[in-house]
Amino acid sequence: MVSLSSYLFISFALFISGLAVMIARKNIIAILLGIELILNSAALNFAAYARFVNQNIDGHLMSLFIIVIAAAEAAVGLAIVIRFFQIKETIHIDDATQLQA
Amino acid sequence: MFENFLFLSSALLTLAGALGVVFTKNLMHACVLLLATLFGVSGLYAVIGADFLAASQLVVYAGGVIILMLFAVMLTGGTADNDNKFGIEKVAAMGSVKTYIYAGLTVLVMSFTILKILANYMRTFEPGKLAPFESTVEEIGTLLVTDHVLAFEISSILLLGALVGAAAIARPRKG
Repeated sequence: MVSLSSYLFISFALFISGLAVMIARKNIIAILLGIELILNSAALNFAAYARFVNQNIDGHLMSLFIIVIAAAEAAVGLAIVIRFFQIKETIHIDDATQLQA
Repeated sequence: MFENFLFLSSALLTLAGALGVVFTKNLMHACVLLLATLFGVSGLYAVIGADFLAASQLVVYAGGVIILMLFAVMLTGGTADNDNKFGIEKVAAMGSVKTYIYAGLTVLVMSFTILKILANYMRTFEPGKLAPFESTVEEIGTLLVTDHVLAFEISSILLLGALVGAAAIARPRKG
């Protein structure tokens, strides 16, 4: 039951969920949630291949760097969202139409 | 047996949380369901022996990212449905049966994960028959400062830049 294919299936489901959230949602914070799902699926793939294919611990390091990058991305993304809300009073993605405030 | 059970419950929590993030209407609920997904992924890490990854997933995501997300949702006033579907204003309750089921499942997976991480340190042995140290923390620490030291330093610069950049972007400007 604990096999590479089951891990790949879970990772695939996470990726598809994240992609669906990123495409279907119109809220900027929800799109960031979708990005988190996709990053998690990538990190899970790294860990699963590291366990089931080559037994190499380098895959764990890749997952660790993905977690670090996801944290940095969430901080900057949410700062941009809050700044956007201060200017536009909305977080709907279709209102982000101009670069200049 | 134990590993299969942990794997099944973690996978169920992961997939249910991901589907919930897709289909729920309320953004606050989406954040909490994403938290369930991240706990499930942490359990999946614990099943395949990546104990350090499981711990850092819990610490970074549950302690950092989800809290940031919830702050952003509340600061931008994301959920404006204080009325239930009959148009009556909701009162703060102690939770429903659904809430307790979610909480119970999450606590189950969390406790299994934490026990799996701690199992290396809580095992007892016969005197003179110690098992070899099986945790991945030592290997990861060694690799981080030998083979991957450039990526390690670059990620520290990235985190500093993200910290300063987030503070500079979100700062309210005058005029």
